[in-house]
Amino acid sequence: MIKSTAFDKSFPKEVMAEPGGEQLVVCSSCGTCAAACVVRQQNPEYNPRRILRMAALGLREKVLSSEEIWQCSACDDCYPRCPKGIHISEVMGAIRQIAIREGYTRPGATAQVNVNRCVACGMCAAACPYEAIKLEEIMIRRSPKRVAQVDPNLCAGCGICNAVCPSGSISLEGYTDREVHDVLLEAMPPDWSGRLLVIICNWSLHAGSDITFAENPPEGVQVIRVSCSGRVTPTFVTTAFDRGAEGVLVVGCDEEECHYREGSRIASGRLQVLGSLLDMMGVDAARVRFTRLTSLDRGKLPTMAQEQQAQLSELGPLDWKGTGGRS
Amino acid sequence: MVDAARHPNIEILSYSELLRLDGYIGNFRAEIVRKPRYVIASNCTGCGECAEACPIEVPNAFDVDIAPRKAIDVPHAQAVPLIYAIDMDNCIQCYQCVTACGERDAIDFSQEPEIINLDVGAIVTATGFDVFDPQVIPEYGYSHYPNVITAMELERLANSAGPTIGRLVRPSDGKPPESLALVLCVGSRDKRYNEYCSGFCCMYSIKNAILLKQANPEMDITIFYMDIRTPSKGYEEFYNRARAAGIRFVRGRPAQITEDPTTHNLFIEAEDQELGEVIELETEMAVLASAAIPSEGTDELASQLTLSRSPSGFFMEYHPKLRPVDSPTDGIFLAGAAQGPKDIPASVAQASAAASRAARVLSSATWEIEPIIAEVDPKVCISAQGKKCGICATACPYGAIIVEPGQPAVVTQAKCHGCGGCVAECPHNAITQHHFTDPQLAAELEALLDDKPEEKILVFMCNWCSYGGADNAGSSHFEYTSASRGLRVMCSARMDQDFILEAFRRGAGMVLVSGCHPQDCHYITGQQVAAQRFDRIPRTLERAGINPERFRVEWISAAEGEKYARVLNEMQVKLDSLDPEVLREENRTAEPSLTSRLKRWKLVPEMAAILEATKS
Repeated sequence: MIKSTAFDKSFPKEVMAEPGGEQLVVCSSCGTCAAACVVRQQNPEYNPRRILRMAALGLREKVLSSEEIWQCSACDDCYPRCPKGIHISEVMGAIRQIAIREGYTRPGATAQVNVNRCVACGMCAAACPYEAIKLEEIMIRRSPKRVAQVDPNLCAGCGICNAVCPSGSISLEGYTDREVHDVLLEAMPPDWSGRLLVIICNWSLHAGSDITFAENPPEGVQVIRVSCSGRVTPTFVTTAFDRGAEGVLVVGCDEEECHYREGSRIASGRLQVLGSLLDMMGVDAARVRFTRLTSLDRGKLPTMAQEQQAQLSELGPLDWKGTGGRS
Repeated sequence: MVDAARHPNIEILSYSELLRLDGYIGNFRAEIVRKPRYVIASNCTGCGECAEACPIEVPNAFDVDIAPRKAIDVPHAQAVPLIYAIDMDNCIQCYQCVTACGERDAIDFSQEPEIINLDVGAIVTATGFDVFDPQVIPEYGYSHYPNVITAMELERLANSAGPTIGRLVRPSDGKPPESLALVLCVGSRDKRYNEYCSGFCCMYSIKNAILLKQANPEMDITIFYMDIRTPSKGYEEFYNRARAAGIRFVRGRPAQITEDPTTHNLFIEAEDQELGEVIELETEMAVLASAAIPSEGTDELASQLTLSRSPSGFFMEYHPKLRPVDSPTDGIFLAGAAQGPKDIPASVAQASAAASRAARVLSSATWEIEPIIAEVDPKVCISAQGKKCGICATACPYGAIIVEPGQPAVVTQAKCHGCGGCVAECPHNAITQHHFTDPQLAAELEALLDDKPEEKILVFMCNWCSYGGADNAGSSHFEYTSASRGLRVMCSARMDQDFILEAFRRGAGMVLVSGCHPQDCHYITGQQVAAQRFDRIPRTLERAGINPERFRVEWISAAEGEKYARVLNEMQVKLDSLDPEVLREENRTAEPSLTSRLKRWKLVPEMAAILEATKS
């Protein structure tokens, strides 16, 4: 039992005084947000409704010290569904602001900058959906240098910055270039005889049959997972070709449902550009396809892979001269 | 009320009670007692000087007994008519009021109860509701802990004309509370006390919470609820306003309220279902939203007006959807919470509807009634021969039959609703029901059991429930045996024992009698009359030599098509298990006995021919 002494009755007011937190007490705990939540599908312990309820009751310490408040990626799948019109990610943001002031920090992987390599081009800052990256002047070996700096409390860990960085100086923990390439090489050993590589965003896997497919792909297909389709770089594709793959299928979320707001849109654009580059190299652009596995497309992953395999059969064997070992 | 008092066509008889009601729609005669006020109404100016002079103080019921009133007083400041009355149970007859009244000379200790006889055409019953006393719920500590109060008490404490001039204070120390909890569904939606939802507690609790919050924005207010029910226009918006105002809503019914004996603060234990954990909330005051219950005297009034009551105890309407303001007795209408808990807009709407229904009666020179009424044959009725009977009058749910010794029974046609209960009950077949006469029904029986009767299941159905159930079974495409043959009468009360015996005499394989569930009976108590009769039938059949398993009684509502089909299929299984040869033999042996039991029936005109016709 939670004793009455555990309640800080001023906490709801504190949250509501914070920008974004105004609607906290309007919540009637219908649970629509929890049912719509993508994070909850991956982590059943997480429940945005419960966090709002704890905050509204005034369970201050419990809320602020909870790891759950950091898990919302502000994808806003819940917001348009909320019958009370509560912008839940904003309320969560308000709670986080209080937590940050109280000295709590976001747990989990964030983007890291190699300040020595960073050239302050600003592409990462422009691409970040969370405005977590800023160009700042810092002192390196007693001399000032303008570099990208990540605010770990704002970074949601999508890795979009990692994919856009032209100098390879910003990387997402757990999905660094090296780490992903190691996974690719392991998935496609030199004696691999398959034809299709599927790169799938962690968050677009909802249905059991899709998850089974990803975990036990059929003959001739390999599947790797990334934090977000926005993390996919052209080198993942060329590495696959180097390893004998004849085509690649990149699977992301619906644009509206993207867990990291912009990742799916960025991936779609990037792969289009890659397509025209491949064309120039004499490789049919249809070999690399970007597709969206929306929440309405549950269970369609195997079909999508089959279609791409059929496409590859039509195109015939790939004449790949390699990238000269750059990847 | 003031408008009503001033209206030339409205006479208010306050402080009066109905003693007796006779007559029927358009022609009621009400005997009313007007209690003595001991104050001459025409002399009283309502100045209140008598009350100031009165030395006796007693608990004030209008203030839920939390404030005093004098032994001479008005119920409340806005009372209509504004005439003082002496409470003789508490008056010590010191006559100080007489002195205070002085020249107005309004006090009259010699007043006696006055009997008034009124001829009225229609009656509207609007006797309201009472509030459930939460003392009987041990876990909430009402009356043990001073700071646990009821919503009615809160209403008076927060009222600017109330005993604290609108200043809400804690009964324990007289200090205004900084925190307060409102507990909903106290004694309602609770099988231990009242199963129904009281309907308006959610809204008035939210209203109280908002008012208190407006008076003191810092007050910490919590509402404990099971469901918030805000179905009417603008209600949900009001509820949202309360949430936005920072009133805490906890979904969870408190299991226990305990008290800190030094501070008299309360600890409320409830599961916050939204959190999934039990919480203990400390609060300075708790307000219980007690159930609305039928008002005292509902039972008495029900028997005076021939009204029926729902299982909840409130007056029952004629039909829940189609005639929601009519009572089962023509010319008597229902309005407000007397019919069931309802809030002010719904009460006003129902009152307007009841008034216009009543006006319809008053403005009609004639009144159309159902043609299916009962009629007594004065030559056959034994009461006319000076014998004691009156069985028909006992069976009539409407009090429509008057039996005077030495006179034949008389049916007041305007009161008769045509259930046919008296017809079936009359031991001398002296009463008939138009359109459902014995020869007509016997002829139907004859036709239904014309061919291979031993393979048939004869079903007696009442018009309102089991016939509807059969219809529902058909329209829902529930399959049931094709051996069934239905015979419809208005009420199960019309299902005379003679018909059941006649069905077996004609060789029916099985007989089912069906009607409404007791609380659903369209004719108030028709089902009860029938049920008592049917209880005796298995023994009668057994004595005649018929296997009583061939007879069945089932109460089937109009919504229970599934049950209708199931019962018939079960009966078919039973029938199949009986050897047809044994069945025929049973019928042959029982025939003489059954025929002799139907002896008296032959006296009914045309019946002899019908009974004779099929003897072969």
